[in-house]
Amino acid sequence: MAKYLVVARSSGMPSTLSPQEMQKVIQKYLSWAEELRKSGRALHGEKLRAGEGRVLRGQGGKMAVTDGPYAETKEIVGGFWLIEAGSYEEMLTLLANHPHLDSSGSLEVREVEDTSQRG
Amino acid sequence: MEPPEVGALVEHLFRHSAGHMVARLARWLGAARLDLAEEAVQDALLRALAMWPFRGVPAEPRGWLFQVARNRAVDLLRREATLRGKLDGYDGGLEESPAASALGDDELAMMFMCCHPSLPPAARVALTLKTVGGFSVDEIAAAFLAESDAIAQRLVRAKRQIREQAIAIEIPAADELGGRLDSVLDVLYLLFNEGYSAHGGPNLTRAELCGEAIRLAEILAGNPATDQPAVHALLALMLLQASRLPARVDQAGDILLLAEQDRGAWDQELIGRGLGHLDRAASGPTITAYHVEAAIAAAHAVAVNDAATDWGYIVQRYDDLLAIKPSPVVELNRAIALAMADGPASGIAAIERIEQDPALARYYLLPAALGRLWLEAGDPERAARYFEEALIRPCSAPERRFLERQLTQCRPRAPR
Repeated sequence: MAKYLVVARSSGMPSTLSPQEMQKVIQKYLSWAEELRKSGRALHGEKLRAGEGRVLRGQGGKMAVTDGPYAETKEIVGGFWLIEAGSYEEMLTLLANHPHLDSSGSLEVREVEDTSQRG
Repeated sequence: MEPPEVGALVEHLFRHSAGHMVARLARWLGAARLDLAEEAVQDALLRALAMWPFRGVPAEPRGWLFQVARNRAVDLLRREATLRGKLDGYDGGLEESPAASALGDDELAMMFMCCHPSLPPAARVALTLKTVGGFSVDEIAAAFLAESDAIAQRLVRAKRQIREQAIAIEIPAADELGGRLDSVLDVLYLLFNEGYSAHGGPNLTRAELCGEAIRLAEILAGNPATDQPAVHALLALMLLQASRLPARVDQAGDILLLAEQDRGAWDQELIGRGLGHLDRAASGPTITAYHVEAAIAAAHAVAVNDAATDWGYIVQRYDDLLAIKPSPVVELNRAIALAMADGPASGIAAIERIEQDPALARYYLLPAALGRLWLEAGDPERAARYFEEALIRPCSAPERRFLERQLTQCRPRAPR
């Protein structure tokens, strides 16, 4: 099993949803996470603060700090999950019916390299 | 750092929590700041929407939501105070836990505000659904087949009226309670009927009105201030009627007559609760229309089959109802029960007495009932004319299909 980082981006939630509709959206994510949990996979997720963030760059030995990195894009990084899977192919299968893709959201998947095995 | 473990949220958690939190915050801040309370609650729900998909549901979802909403309300107040240069001492004073609110006092007080007799009746309904029910403007519009803009306007005007007339969020004192409670019950009755008539149609929001009306009536029944016979009678009526909802339409969504319904599909749990509340309604000196209507609904609910229905008893209850609440629609229902008790001829005679009533001029059920009775009386041609008349009057798609089905029964053979 390898660990995968799944970064969720979206163009923001419409604020006109009714309470009932909001609950339905959350419920879809919960059901998805529950399926994953039942299959015995570790799952950890965190939400990232909206509207904040810093990018640090080295510039000739000095550090340059800019706000961002979302200034260039309308997409917001909402949060991320760490999920276990055997391969990218399996990850893609697991994510195929992910509720984040129901709306205009996108998911970026990156495998966490296991340095203990590969030295 | 706990992994998310909760696989499901309590049904209607957000909608009901929204109603509860708006009531609690608005009662704390005063009715004039109803908008601020609603904004704070909406923000709290949006925060959950942004967070829970990643972190899972917190251990105490209601408490979490309330704390966020309360903090948001304080922020909004501070911003308002900065703009105006003063803060009216709202900082603190509100307990952190929504559970501290005894027996739904906040929602009850809010219901009394929303149903205040000085507000226009249509506004009472919209306001109750919005603030206590947690329905959105769009959902209310869908439920009442109205435009969202019109509903939004109605709400704005009602809130302005609440501010101008300083209508308070409080449970009325004993001397005022009776009349104010009547107004609340009227609204719940209307909500329920609106949902009941729509049930089985394509519009799910309308069907949810029944559940909401029952929930609000249960809050009234459960609070010592409003634990009164008329409340139990209305609750009994709604539970008994709701017990038949699963059987009222077939799988294609077509309306089934009482005699055609699968009584096994009637919800016995709801019937039991309904009969329990009917018992509790039977104390006190006053018989309300709700009592009588609940007694009629109970007579249907306890009949093991259509033939076992005590139609004579039901006719008598309709007589009671006419004495309390005379109306041509009640007359029509009585006539149908009379036909079941004494045969179609007596039913037809009773309907002919109200046939010209202008209040029923656009009511499709009048010609539909006559069509049904003439068919039973063995005059299918006459029956067909009445069903055709019924089809000209306004009715929903399932009602229309029902009438067309009746019409084919009048013409069992294809015409030459």
